Amino acid sequence: MKWVCAVAAVLLLAGCGVQSSGVGDSGAAPTGVAPGVTLYFVDRQERLRPQLRETGRLGSIAEAMSLLLTGVGDSDLRTEIAATGTTHVVVTSAPGLVQLMVPVTIDDVTPLGIDQIVCTALGVHVQSGGSRDTEVQVRFIQPTEESDKRRTCPLTG
Amino acid sequence: MRLWPRGLRARLLVAFVLVTVLGAGAASWSSARSASDALVVTTQQRITQTMTDQIRAVTPQLTYPPDQATLDRLRAAVGVNTLVTYENLRAGAGGDTGLVTAALRTAVRGGERLVTQRITARDRPWLLIGTPITVTAPDGTQTPSGIEVYSVHDLSGVEQRIDGLTRSAVVTAALALPLAVLLALLAAGSVLRPVRMLRDTARRLAAGDMDARSAPHGADELAELTVTVNEMAGSLQSSMAALRQMQADARRFAADVSHELRTPLSTLTAVVEVLATTADGMAPDARESARLAITETHRLVRLVEDLMEVSRFDTGTARSHVEEVDVAGAVQDCLRARGWLERVEVAAPGEVRLRVDRRRLDVIVANLVGNALRHGAPPVLVRVAASPGQVRLEVTDGGPGLSEQVLPHVFDRFYKADIARTRTPGSGLGLAIALENARLHGGELTAGNASGGGARFVLWLPRNPEVAS
Repeated sequence: MKWVCAVAAVLLLAGCGVQSSGVGDSGAAPTGVAPGVTLYFVDRQERLRPQLRETGRLGSIAEAMSLLLTGVGDSDLRTEIAATGTTHVVVTSAPGLVQLMVPVTIDDVTPLGIDQIVCTALGVHVQSGGSRDTEVQVRFIQPTEESDKRRTCPLTG
Repeated sequence: MRLWPRGLRARLLVAFVLVTVLGAGAASWSSARSASDALVVTTQQRITQTMTDQIRAVTPQLTYPPDQATLDRLRAAVGVNTLVTYENLRAGAGGDTGLVTAALRTAVRGGERLVTQRITARDRPWLLIGTPITVTAPDGTQTPSGIEVYSVHDLSGVEQRIDGLTRSAVVTAALALPLAVLLALLAAGSVLRPVRMLRDTARRLAAGDMDARSAPHGADELAELTVTVNEMAGSLQSSMAALRQMQADARRFAADVSHELRTPLSTLTAVVEVLATTADGMAPDARESARLAITETHRLVRLVEDLMEVSRFDTGTARSHVEEVDVAGAVQDCLRARGWLERVEVAAPGEVRLRVDRRRLDVIVANLVGNALRHGAPPVLVRVAASPGQVRLEVTDGGPGLSEQVLPHVFDRFYKADIARTRTPGSGLGLAIALENARLHGGELTAGNASGGGARFVLWLPRNPEVAS
């Protein structure tokens, strides 16, 4: 009889309140800090090359796009995107998809130039904690079939 | 287990209540426990998710490597009770952030995962969250940034909700109690009713009511037991009837034999008396034989008379002629008639009046005193004492007394204490007849030993036989 009471008391007490616990894993750590933003340009061999702009912070996809459209600066690299007056890019995110509304026409960019845009956008997306399986849709000013394509970066897969 | 109750009903009740309350308690406890576990887990997930979202929302805008202002921005974004560190820089120290444990710090510093720990401090539960912030390369590889965020959350609200759950569990278990008592009483009643009926039947059987039976209900073990008890009572009744029949037959036989012997014995007695008158003229051998025949014939006559007396007691046809008698005087008369006055001492407080059958009292006294004279040793003492309710007549002798083996059989018929000495003048029925006579008067006759060593027979006769019997 005594041990029945003891067990019941222990069980009742054990059910009360929030139990203390040891240190436990609760998921992935947040990420997003970076010393700068990585832009993609083209080298002499017609290959995409990443270039780290040491802005001191990662920034958003739109900011990275603005930097990309602004140009390569003094470097061995060049850009395959024609210069435009405006560098403002509208970025909308949906699950698994980043939509970019670039202020250029399909004629202003080569396929390599489109890859520059896609890789830069995806790089920022991944660096700020996004999924690497995300696809990018680049929508141009004028209607074109290229606007509906879902693209991935050939460098990062 | 002194506390364990004796009665079947109480035991059933306690067992039922114990089992039910324990079962209900265990079920309520288990559900309350899992509910509170789920509550803690979801709360923890919610807080962790919120914190991760808050950090992720602000990190792309943070300069890296961070300065103090950056850490302050991060701390402000996550909320109060937050500590942000980077190498030697700290933001948000103080408040409840002092609760962060060394184990949590070690886990954060060594890994790239968000970790949590629940602790109890200042009588409250707390959730500690610690996470490093990682730097992710464009290709997805992660490296620690050196920035660590620690956050402390008070879980008192969760604890209050858990307490509520526990309380409702206890109430649920308590609600089962009266139901258990009711069920236990019903179950105990259904079991105990047949048991009680059986007990009553057994009691009636023990009291001699051989017709007592109890009707079995249903087809359970108790019903089987009832049927068995009924069968037992039935066989007991038939064997008792057979035994009674045999006993009655034996008694009738004894009565018939003694009755049949009486007529030839009368003739024989007459012949023996004639023989006695002529014995003096016989040759010495013949005279000896004649005397032996006379003695044995008298003994035979007495034996047959005793047998007939016993038969009358057995068949219940013994009649007593009650009259007012002075017991002390009756004792004197008895002793005088047998010529024992010189050998027996009588102590009586004067005249003791009692309504008895004078002849039967005479038989009792003669038997007791005769036994004392024959088997005991002088002095033989007859003491008469009277009280308002009864009269006590005590016969003691100075002999060796009655041995342990003899005492229980003193009143048995034809019982001879000394097996070798079978040829005693008594019939072997004297004390049995004395006892029956005492009982016929509603009295009692007991045998024992006096403190001095001799045998002591005590006869109690009630003053009012009708009341006593």
